[in-house]
Amino acid sequence: MTERRSAPSLATEGLAPSERWKGPFIARLLADKRVVVCCGAGGVGKTTTAAALGLAAAMLGKKALVLTIDPARRLAEAIGSPLAARAPVPMPDARLAEVGIRGTLSTWMVDPRIVFEGMVRRLTTDQIQADAILQNRIYRALAQLVAGMQEYTAAEALYGFVEGGDYDVVILDTPPSRNALDFLEAPRKLSLFLDERIVGVFLPGSSGIFRNRARQIAHGVFARIFGEGFFDEMQQFLATFSGMFVSMRSHAESVRKLLKSDASSFVVVTSPEPAALAEAAHLERTLATEMLLPFSGFILNRSWAYTRGLRSPSELVLPPDATRVDHAALAKLEQLAAEELRLAERDRQLLSSLRKRRAGCQAAATPQLDGDIDFAALVLIAESLIAPTTVEDALENR
Amino acid sequence: MSLRIRDGIAQRLVLVTGKGGVGKTTVTAAIARSAASSGKRVLAAEISYESPREAGATQDAEITSPLAAALGTSPLVDEPRRLDGTLHGARLSPLAGHLQFLRDTLPMRLLADAAMKSAAVRRFFIAAPTLAELGIVYRLLHLLSLERPNGQHEWELVVCDLPATGHALALAQVPQALVDILRGGPIHAAAQEGLSLLRDPARTTSVLVTLPEPLPVSEAIELHEGLHRLSIDCGLVVLNRVPENPFSAEERAAVERMVTDRMRMLGARRLPRIDRARAACDRLEHELHMPVRVVYEANANVTTSVLEQLRGAP
Repeated sequence: MTERRSAPSLATEGLAPSERWKGPFIARLLADKRVVVCCGAGGVGKTTTAAALGLAAAMLGKKALVLTIDPARRLAEAIGSPLAARAPVPMPDARLAEVGIRGTLSTWMVDPRIVFEGMVRRLTTDQIQADAILQNRIYRALAQLVAGMQEYTAAEALYGFVEGGDYDVVILDTPPSRNALDFLEAPRKLSLFLDERIVGVFLPGSSGIFRNRARQIAHGVFARIFGEGFFDEMQQFLATFSGMFVSMRSHAESVRKLLKSDASSFVVVTSPEPAALAEAAHLERTLATEMLLPFSGFILNRSWAYTRGLRSPSELVLPPDATRVDHAALAKLEQLAAEELRLAERDRQLLSSLRKRRAGCQAAATPQLDGDIDFAALVLIAESLIAPTTVEDALENR
Repeated sequence: MSLRIRDGIAQRLVLVTGKGGVGKTTVTAAIARSAASSGKRVLAAEISYESPREAGATQDAEITSPLAAALGTSPLVDEPRRLDGTLHGARLSPLAGHLQFLRDTLPMRLLADAAMKSAAVRRFFIAAPTLAELGIVYRLLHLLSLERPNGQHEWELVVCDLPATGHALALAQVPQALVDILRGGPIHAAAQEGLSLLRDPARTTSVLVTLPEPLPVSEAIELHEGLHRLSIDCGLVVLNRVPENPFSAEERAAVERMVTDRMRMLGARRLPRIDRARAACDRLEHELHMPVRVVYEANANVTTSVLEQLRGAP
């Protein structure tokens, strides 16, 4: 046991000794940052990783919040988050205490309708105006649609919770768009939509011959393509909504500032699949080089890298009366074992290549676990992220 | 991967859908190739929300055009391009759909082009969240309506790789919302037409791709329900990356006798995966009442290609 504990862990292996004593980089992120954003291709286990990061933060004694976009039902159960809550749901203290966790963990599934409604109520001065907006058919259609709105509301929710100050660290699971960075663009896209040059075209009362002329043209085009009634309704929508535009745009700007600041950190989650790795490399380049966002490193999810303490089938000795079937079965098992060792070697090499991608870049691995992700599995993943030496032992006691 | 649809595909549009990372793109490429091999004029299509200029900034085909990468060709563009025999490829972008729409709607082509040049109109189309999906549906409608001089369909079959679960549903939800919001006019009409295309099982079907693990299977069943709610036909379920089971029943029993703790034995960790894959297949067949196509995971030596990819770009 003692021997195994002192073996270099996968999270610190390959780092300079001066880096190693600081512990796994994930632990440092969770201790120092207010926002940790999980990016990655679809299907790499981003939501699971975000939940495990939240749990890891709670293990470090933090008040953590995980904002997820679309958790699968089982995972929602594992993290104790009802699917349609109006506010973050804290995990019962007793459940956390059972596994010796001192901090707190809340989770919330971002619901675009609830975020929008909260925003409308916050930004409008009176109840009547708020109700008018919430009743508008165009508003309702916009807020209900899946496409595009999740991205905006995720950013908006993040901002709200960081401003609110109820949590030490907020972990954001990014929406499952093809472009995993869409949500960063969402506030900008929305402010484009709300650009006064567009709004001005619809809104009555703005003066000037050019404005009037532009409005006439736009009216013509829009009436033709959207049908006669739409222009009036759009006008009404924008008139009631326009009071909020200034605040919404300044929100969007604040979100960008927050995400670019030292208080935030981006981690890219990947699986060992080639397509996921290609996407991860692309995300890293875009985040760090093009968008100049605080990128910290990779989490190699569901890796086979952990093999310490496993026995090999070649140690098995068949009895003298073993049948041909027994021998055939053992030979096939040995083949599977050889395959698994290749995967382990591949994943260890992957980790070290990921670390070499840029100066200061870090990488941690989480183990390939059997079956469904339940609370116990999340605890294992969380431990592997912040205190990897205990994982092997934890697996033993599972 | 070869995915032969036994009796051919009767529909004109196949939507390939499923959660991220399940292998939709490979399945799309396999279906398109298989259909084209019988001489059908097939268009393999992928959805791209990026403007061509933005897309051009990254040269990485895996990212900008995953379907092209799966088909082994250069990134796909708006205009269909011949790839191989009767197999063609194109990307579906909202922009192309919007332009098409304006051209069909406004009296003069000149006016449509001018309208697209107007910053206000263009921004509105790009930024209004629903119009991107409508643009894509409109583009699909247009491609399917194209005819050759002899009256045959230009594209006998369009196989479309949908980006994420939400999108299969959004493609149908968006026209529905627009039909609800707009009382009349060409967008209302286009949305209505799009809806009837997507909801007509004689013309449109979907292929649901998933992985052999409990969670993805639950999600696939939910997605199947979602498709059903929106009246989109589902013609095939593909269970992808199924681990091959090398053991006969007797050999498996022998392994069970030899190995006492599977999770502590190299190689034996594969056994629960094999069992889960079997359970996944049974559950899908049982709950969806339809045949499940099993695609085995390639045990090729992926190690080298993965490492090469990582060493490639800085």
